[in-house]
Amino acid sequence: MTGKLLLLLRYKRKTQKDLNILILLLFMVAFAHGQTPTDGLMMPSKNICILLNYEAGHFDRYWEGDDLRRNETIATVNRTTILPMAAVGIFDELNFYIGLPYVKTKSSETNGGRFEGAKGFQDFMVALKYKALERSLGSGRLSLFTTVGYSTPATNYLSDYMPYSLGFGAPEFSLRGITQYQLNNGFYVRGTVAHLWRGYTEAERDYYYNSGSFYTALMDVPNAWTFETVIGKWFMSNTLKLELNYTGLKSTSGDNIRAYNAAQPTNKVKYDRLGVSIQYYSPSLKGLGVVGYYNNVVNGLNTAKMSNVGLGLTYQFNFIKNTNKDQDAQ
Amino acid sequence: MRNKIYKSILFICSLLWFISCEKDLPTYLEYKDYSYSSTDENGGTWQPILIDEGAAINIGVPEDISSQSYQAEISAIKASTDEINAPQRKALTYWGNNAVVRWNEIALELIAKYNLIPGPNDDGSYTLPNPSDPNGPPAFPFAHPPYACRALAYLSVAQFDGLISAWHYKYLYNRAAPYQIDGSITYAYEPNDIPSYPSDGAVLARVSKKVLSAMFPLEKEYLQKLEDEHLESLLLSGGNVPSDISAGITIGDEISEIALARAANDGMKNAQAPKVVSDSIKAAAFERFGWQWENLEIPVRPVGLTPLFGKVKMWNVANVENVRPVPPPAIDSDAYLADVSILKDYADNMTEEKRSIANFWQDGLGTYTPPGHWNRFANEFMVEDKMNPLRSARTLAYMNMAIMDSGISCWDAKYYYHYPRPIQTIEGFKTIAGTPNFPSYTSGHSVFSAAASEVLAYIFPEKATLVRGWAEEAAISRVYGGIHWTFDATVGTDQGREVAKFTVDIAKLDGAN
Repeated sequence: MTGKLLLLLRYKRKTQKDLNILILLLFMVAFAHGQTPTDGLMMPSKNICILLNYEAGHFDRYWEGDDLRRNETIATVNRTTILPMAAVGIFDELNFYIGLPYVKTKSSETNGGRFEGAKGFQDFMVALKYKALERSLGSGRLSLFTTVGYSTPATNYLSDYMPYSLGFGAPEFSLRGITQYQLNNGFYVRGTVAHLWRGYTEAERDYYYNSGSFYTALMDVPNAWTFETVIGKWFMSNTLKLELNYTGLKSTSGDNIRAYNAAQPTNKVKYDRLGVSIQYYSPSLKGLGVVGYYNNVVNGLNTAKMSNVGLGLTYQFNFIKNTNKDQDAQ
Repeated sequence: MRNKIYKSILFICSLLWFISCEKDLPTYLEYKDYSYSSTDENGGTWQPILIDEGAAINIGVPEDISSQSYQAEISAIKASTDEINAPQRKALTYWGNNAVVRWNEIALELIAKYNLIPGPNDDGSYTLPNPSDPNGPPAFPFAHPPYACRALAYLSVAQFDGLISAWHYKYLYNRAAPYQIDGSITYAYEPNDIPSYPSDGAVLARVSKKVLSAMFPLEKEYLQKLEDEHLESLLLSGGNVPSDISAGITIGDEISEIALARAANDGMKNAQAPKVVSDSIKAAAFERFGWQWENLEIPVRPVGLTPLFGKVKMWNVANVENVRPVPPPAIDSDAYLADVSILKDYADNMTEEKRSIANFWQDGLGTYTPPGHWNRFANEFMVEDKMNPLRSARTLAYMNMAIMDSGISCWDAKYYYHYPRPIQTIEGFKTIAGTPNFPSYTSGHSVFSAAASEVLAYIFPEKATLVRGWAEEAAISRVYGGIHWTFDATVGTDQGREVAKFTVDIAKLDGAN
């Protein structure tokens, strides 16, 4: 049974390639960070928000097990991600998301390994977010959301090429619960819990060591929990939003990176990441928004001490009346 | 409505179950219905490698099956087979009736576990693994390809000699297996007519534990546990009584001592030469040819991997210099420049096919190495042919001797010619495989693979074309990876084939054909 499903997933991966490129072209117009599967916003019905985000990440240290180290073989690894994404308001309470990141990785010069980096489209993702509840509570409003998401590699990128691989190379199904409480003065807090079910990734070798021999090209990418806590506030008549956020991820299984050895998709990953983001919706250019953010992994297990800086543009419009509508439900 | 919700929940749950479901990935080669394709009654007359003949090791005459002591052994077996618990049943399935494969897999696993290159210390120096302080850090050994091929050769040769001796006594004394003598004992595997005194399984368990414990000293406890489990399985299988086992252990003890005595003095302990020696080898090459390989890691490793592995005692070649290949093209010669173009072209136009070939054969750090990869193929072929343990051990012994000899020859060429890697001489060149810490010419993968494929082609003639094709693919994979020149691969393939001939010629005369 499992084998059959794997075959199906793999088959889909191959045939999806053309479709993905088409979708990408359709949504290449613009992209931003305003409405994502993980935030506490909803798009009104019949609205589309398009986001185009550019992210520059780098790390010069990583955790080998829990030991934070440098490695001049890879020196500083740079990771650039361009993410086009679209959010569609199907109903006021139900949003659909679709996105496909393009990733490029390479080491800084000079490094001791002389490895070629990697580039290409990473994982095609879709998600549905449902607003399950919204009610007044004290001097604010309480909202509950749930998101289901699915992503799968869009190209035949090699996940077993860490730290340059574009992604972990396996299908992922996610189920997310989001709670947000916003005061009438614009302050809000948000908490998110999600479980990520991750499938197998296929290496290009059919033997590997994962606390023992494995005679297969399939690598079990561990499932994971993620947690997010956000404190934010709206300013300037709800046109400017400032957020401080914490994101945690914790694999439920997996092995450690071995001494001075490359990471692999089977590793048990944990991290704590702190970040800040600022988002601005232009009142003069209706529907246009801009988002900037910075985050940094402060603690981890078998993961890079990654710092990311991102900048995105959002454009929101009503696709029925063909006019820009005002801000989202916030 | 409620039904609808229930259905969607069920759908999601089953989807999750599929995606997350615990993961039945293979960790060893499974087989069933393993009826030996031959019994090799004359196996005791085959020519062993380390001892003169199968009779060279002495074991006592077994008690007759009508004796009281033998009958007591049978009764004890019956009692214990009646009470097999779940872990014991699992062990019976795991060990199967060809433990040559299992112990080889255990060796491969230890190789993969220990194939980790020591990283630099904080001050930029490197510490070498030290057999007299195996805990390190770094732990001993660093099971790189030369270390791996040697460990596998000693393991397989000792197993083979031990089993020849076992076969000699099996057919000398002809004491049938317990399940053949007492119909109420059920054999856990497919029945055969091979006499059970001494136990071939016990020979394998003891030899493998001893050789591997010497090669991987930190694994002594783990290997002892495996030996205990294997020996217990032999009794519980209904195939052996304790006196079969102890006779097998006697052979195992003796033959592993002989094998390890050879290993202690084969030159391996000097292979990781000190810096002065390494520098003089490098200077000699520069003097001779006008080039020298440099390590480009940061911080620089002061000594390449095992510069004197080329001086290790060979199994079947009298003098390593007799099989040394011709010199590589001079740097900046036409042939060299043509190769630079080829490598740049491969790198600039990497295809998924080339990438997957490079990765399939990479067998780099943290894996069972190229010699291990070929052992895995051999295991699969042996199981496919349902070889008995003796014939399996023979396959691996000849293959691993040829692989080790070819490795010694390759290392001789590497440090004699000391030829630079592509990243050293092509400005700005980048690779998709890791560049190893030793000179380029000739390619270890090419030599190991060619040698292994020649022995496999001899033993499995119907697979000759297949395995020779694989060897060529393994060779070119290093060029696709960007870490070898094409002549490293092509000359290396010829070199491996030539070296293997010496071993195959001996195999042809060992009496097993």
